[in-house]
Amino acid sequence: MKRRHFRRPDHSIPELNMASLPDLIFTVLFFFMIVTHMRDVEKQVQYQVPAGTEVEKEQHKSAVLHIYIGHPLDGSSDEFLIQLNNQIATVGDIRRFVESERRRMSPEDQERLTVSIDADRDVPMAIINEVKQALRQSYALNISYAASEKALKKNIK
Amino acid sequence: MFRRNRHREVPSLNTSSTADISFMLLIFFLVTSSMDAGKGLKRQLPPPPQEQEQVADILDSDIMTVTLAADGALALNGEPTDLQQLQREVTQFAAVNPKHRVVAIKTSPEATYDAYFQLQNAIMAAYRPLKCQPRISDVVEHHEEKGGKRL
Repeated sequence: MKRRHFRRPDHSIPELNMASLPDLIFTVLFFFMIVTHMRDVEKQVQYQVPAGTEVEKEQHKSAVLHIYIGHPLDGSSDEFLIQLNNQIATVGDIRRFVESERRRMSPEDQERLTVSIDADRDVPMAIINEVKQALRQSYALNISYAASEKALKKNIK
Repeated sequence: MFRRNRHREVPSLNTSSTADISFMLLIFFLVTSSMDAGKGLKRQLPPPPQEQEQVADILDSDIMTVTLAADGALALNGEPTDLQQLQREVTQFAAVNPKHRVVAIKTSPEATYDAYFQLQNAIMAAYRPLKCQPRISDVVEHHEEKGGKRL
């Protein structure tokens, strides 16, 4: 019986069943659709966030508002600008911004609302303080100073 | 002719392109989405000042004053210090009674955000072994001015 097999070797490679491939890819697709969010803000300011050792990851992306503070992208001036959503704003606009964003959120997100202050390292504290006071006034009390993570060893000089 | 029709089976849909279509969607989402989770130092702000604000009774011995000058120089209770020393001192200070002891930060408005952030980072690091949130009174004011609002 073995011999007969050797004499008639089967040359055709069996075809792979591709029927489940679309399902597989769809699963991956849905995974990405759920875990990611679209980049909906075009940054108009440039900034370099400070580095710290105690930074934590953002928990709920949909509940985080960003306030960007930095130099204008085209380098036209040295002053620091505040960007809310897609426009350059002033400290006075922060309250309205937080209120309108809060209204758009789901009740769960409203509770865990966090404002991330993405500010350049060289921003003077006077501006940061004004922003913080405006956030207090609008009861957005959870804040996060955006930062990059620094290895612990580098901190000890 | 009619007889032939009766025998015809329902043609099966050609699904070989479904994989290509979903691949395209997948690549679109991969390109447009951002996976990078933002990182940051979490802090809690106090609620806005009320009209009748109660001044908390805190013993002077329970307050540690850290001053951040415009040039980034740190001072602890009036004496110059650096971040590492500050972190040790804060840990020592807060270990006695972390729930009651307060670290008061006085920042000059001209100080840079980076210096302030490093200070906050050092205080958070100092409180980490104590496993509790630091109580920080955070004021931005000039050196000369006295009695800023306690946050």
